[in-house]
Amino acid sequence: MINYAIILNAVGEHLFLAYSALLVSIVIAVPLAVISLYNRYLASLLLVFANLIQAIPSFAVVAIVVPLLGIGFKPAIFAIILRIILPLFKNTFTGLRDVDFIYIDSARGIGLNQWEILRYIRFPHALPAIFAGIKFAAVIANSVAILTSLIGAGGLGELIFEGLTNFNIPKVLTGAIPAIIIAILLDISFSLIEKRITLKY
Amino acid sequence: MIAQVWKTQQLTIKTIEHLSMVFIALLIIIIIGVAIGIFLYNKKNLSDIVLNILNVIETIPELVLLVILMPFFGIGYKPTLIASILYSILPVARNTYVGLTQVDRQYLESARAMGLAEREILWNIRIPLALPMIAAGIRIAMVFTMGVVTLGGLIAAGGLGGPIQTGIHLYDRDIILVTGLWIGILAVLVDSIGNWIEKTLNRRYGYD
Repeated sequence: MINYAIILNAVGEHLFLAYSALLVSIVIAVPLAVISLYNRYLASLLLVFANLIQAIPSFAVVAIVVPLLGIGFKPAIFAIILRIILPLFKNTFTGLRDVDFIYIDSARGIGLNQWEILRYIRFPHALPAIFAGIKFAAVIANSVAILTSLIGAGGLGELIFEGLTNFNIPKVLTGAIPAIIIAILLDISFSLIEKRITLKY
Repeated sequence: MIAQVWKTQQLTIKTIEHLSMVFIALLIIIIIGVAIGIFLYNKKNLSDIVLNILNVIETIPELVLLVILMPFFGIGYKPTLIASILYSILPVARNTYVGLTQVDRQYLESARAMGLAEREILWNIRIPLALPMIAAGIRIAMVFTMGVVTLGGLIAAGGLGGPIQTGIHLYDRDIILVTGLWIGILAVLVDSIGNWIEKTLNRRYGYD
């Protein structure tokens, strides 16, 4: 017997958790990358951090949040943000930084100011890299959002963990199969958008 | 606090268990991954399909992959090992394939001019020059494997994930903090060893 209402509800919770965290991370990471463009110390500090944090298992990150913030929905969002914000920053920053100098030079030559260079030269050129970062972050957010059910955030992971404690495999699958479908749809849709963006720029 | 948690949770044994699981998984991943990479290099028309399939597997959340294997392999060490292999083969296979195909033309031409057969070119020219790329893939695989093995604690695979689960269930801050931070430190250490190997290979075989 499958209770579709429960599954749909869990899918909704899962998506809300993953995507609100993703949105918040983008809103923080992109301005941070722009600031780092003009501040070398901040940039190198954040890049070192980004490389270190990427090595730490998600499970450890989720766990460490518990003593700091307790359990529930907010700590879960915080854990996801913690996990994805630095990869997002790294891709945005390197994308913005590694724009071919010829373009920037000629933009200066025709009299564009710093802001205009950022808006019309750097951002359009960095868009594929930024988008690759967002795709990567979305995959990780999707994966960590399952894990955060362990600290009481609800969602599809909750079905999985409930099934695990009773060794109730069908229940585990009611959580796992929607999660796989979401992951594959996510990959397909992001790949399509990515193709469009790379073609355009 | 640290000493107490370390003792009650037997972190020394758990760490050894954890690292040996990662090591065995990595060994298998390297063998299979490099083999798939070389195979795809020989059968280029298959490369898109195989790499895409591996890519899809990688988007599946780690925990979901782990529990999906449970009906087939039960709980504990076996599904954890298989999940980490499935999850980490892509970076090794893809990097091997890309490394082999993207060898600079000039090396290939001079090798052909000296009369080397294609098989000799593969073993003596392409593979050595692809080593830095392969090492980069292995380093990514290492990070993934650490992650999956840690999660294995949830399905009784042993290792350092177990104490974290205990800590969360008992809501014991000390256990969570000590074990969580220890895993973090361990992961960073393992990754920096990988980084060092990658850099050394790059110096020896890299282009720049």
